[in-house]
Amino acid sequence: MKKYIYFNLICLISLSMMITSCNDDDYSIPTAGTQLQNDCIKRSLGPNVVGLNIEFAYAMALNENEGNIVSAQVEASIAGASGTYLEHRSYYTDNSGLDVGVVVGSPSVTTGTKTEVTFVKDTCAATLRYYYYIPEEASGKEVSFKFSATDSNGNTISYNMGPYTISKMEIKRDIVLSDNENMYLSIADLATMNADAATSNPSKVDLVYLYRSYSSVNFAHALVSPANSEYLTDITLPSEVNNNSPLWKVEDLQDRQLSDLQYGIYVDDVDFTDMDFTNAPNYAINIKAETGIWVETADKTYRAYIFVNSVDATTKSMTISIKRYKMK
Amino acid sequence: MKKYLIILTISFFTLTLWIGCSDFPVDEDGLLITTNSECYISNFELLGSDMQTVRTGTAIIDTTAQTINVEVKYGTDLKNLWPQFSLIYDAKISPKVTENVDFSDLNNPKQWTVISGNRKVKKTYTVYITVQTKP
Repeated sequence: MKKYIYFNLICLISLSMMITSCNDDDYSIPTAGTQLQNDCIKRSLGPNVVGLNIEFAYAMALNENEGNIVSAQVEASIAGASGTYLEHRSYYTDNSGLDVGVVVGSPSVTTGTKTEVTFVKDTCAATLRYYYYIPEEASGKEVSFKFSATDSNGNTISYNMGPYTISKMEIKRDIVLSDNENMYLSIADLATMNADAATSNPSKVDLVYLYRSYSSVNFAHALVSPANSEYLTDITLPSEVNNNSPLWKVEDLQDRQLSDLQYGIYVDDVDFTDMDFTNAPNYAINIKAETGIWVETADKTYRAYIFVNSVDATTKSMTISIKRYKMK
Repeated sequence: MKKYLIILTISFFTLTLWIGCSDFPVDEDGLLITTNSECYISNFELLGSDMQTVRTGTAIIDTTAQTINVEVKYGTDLKNLWPQFSLIYDAKISPKVTENVDFSDLNNPKQWTVISGNRKVKKTYTVYITVQTKP
């Protein structure tokens, strides 16, 4: 008797599982709401650095029988730097994967923290891009955004984005160092100096660039701390140029923001604070393109990551881009 | 018949338990101690702080004299090098390399001891470094 109860129970469970697993859920294509709707995505990736931009795509739409969009607006918690704008063209992606812009409004007007586009075309759907250029005053702070759109019926809808942390680090791209000319690099100024400028500001010289070609050893492009006595023997440094800046050579760290958006790696604030310069040398020779150097200034005020964009043996020059972090 | 089945089952479980509980010898690092008594370094690499080789050529390993001779590039930072050893199978090396090694004192070359798989044979290798000179 007991055996039959178990048998029936197992059959019942199996049957119910079969029915449940084979049952198709009803599906219907969702119906779009008739009211004004919106959505937003952040398009840019990586750390938010002063001087660069944060890009968003803001989409808004309402049913075509319900009216049209009359304006779109973005309000940032910290006013954007010069160049901040909201596109007055709505973009779509064509069959070739290219972004095609269609003018829907007049160019945006920015007043303080608000940037607005007034629509001039009778349109019920648009996706506008917003480029927020990060101002200096936002460094180390958080910034958030309120996107909003208004339709011809007077309805307004909004979408909040953020907060986004703005990095403390700074960036400077395409600095050209040249042998015997602008060969002195200042991390404090994020600039090169010639001998005259170095004589005037000896404490600001962190590294010396030189190019040397020898028959049997690889020296080529080098960045050497002024205090190094071994690799600057044939150079007479200006008086009092004697900083000792520790540095580490590094390969395969092609920062996207320093390498003209070529790679997918980002150096961020935490990388600078975590760096340990104990026992680091004060020179790097045979530097190749697309390699990098971590450096700390002698007074430990700054740490920087120098990415070598290109080297040129003919002109004896090197183009670098720098991310710098103020430690104190 | 039933009796034989029970005996067979008990025997099977006993065998499984015996195999499962049998200890394979491991050393203090949790590495298996085997019967292999061979003990040598087959390859040597030396990396700079950028994890790129600093050798100018192949390292010369003398398994009889137990020496490794390697020339490094001009300008190599000898204070921050990372040696890598390829060993005969089952062997291990002491001391372990867990951070950059300072090779700057060329008069006192660094030494590593290879320990065979059976942990009974030990051979100490000395690493001699020369730096490529500028003409």
